[in-house]
Amino acid sequence: MTDPDVAGSLSIDGDDDIVTARMTIRQTASDLGFGITDTTRIVTAVSELARNIHLYAGSGTMRWRTRRDGERPVFEIIFDDDGPGIDDIEKALESGQSSANGMGQGLPGAKKLMDEFDLETSPGAGTTVTIGKYLQ
Amino acid sequence: MSADQRPSVMEVGDALIASLPEHPTDSTISELQELILSRIARTDADADGVVLDVGAVQTVDSFFARMIVETAKMVELMGAHPVLVGVSPAIAITVTELGLDLGEVETALGTDQAVAKIRAFDS
Repeated sequence: MTDPDVAGSLSIDGDDDIVTARMTIRQTASDLGFGITDTTRIVTAVSELARNIHLYAGSGTMRWRTRRDGERPVFEIIFDDDGPGIDDIEKALESGQSSANGMGQGLPGAKKLMDEFDLETSPGAGTTVTIGKYLQ
Repeated sequence: MSADQRPSVMEVGDALIASLPEHPTDSTISELQELILSRIARTDADADGVVLDVGAVQTVDSFFARMIVETAKMVELMGAHPVLVGVSPAIAITVTELGLDLGEVETALGTDQAVAKIRAFDS
């Protein structure tokens, strides 16, 4: 990895933006030196979280950057919205347990695919999900 | 959206070959589902099976996986055989790690094998 300092942001408003989010992060992950399988894991997690913003909050923002955890570079992606927030975090993180649309794979799926996962939310105060993948 | 990002359904013998573009939106995937079902329903089509080709697709997330399973079930309900082709190694790994269940859907390595399976079902 020659240049670890990438950063950017993208607004998520419609389902076209889910596609743009996937394409942008695929290119960035590949440029950073992630292999095809890790890139697919990252892009799949991005697809789930970008869709969550589109479905539940209507609009929001995806930001990405690289940082170092000691010597280890981490590719970090942050999903931020001012939507309704999540009432029951434990339930939202259980596979197949989320309420709306009977989907409920998004958050637990993203967590399984990534090395780091952090969820900050409260009812009425929006949701921020931060995911990270270590670049070996 | 450009024309090459639309889903397509072709007739090859007694099979319909349904393909997704490289970068499908959620609505593109729903649109393909409707397209497949309406083509099976056309009496002159006389389709024995449907090949669902995801070879161009780079990401299969939970929504996409659910639509594949749903579409396959609907195709079966209408009396045709669904066969999924084009699952890449990276997608196979991700779908398995996510715990998404494509277990009931018949798969084949390529379109030729899928069409052969459809013919075998029929005989």
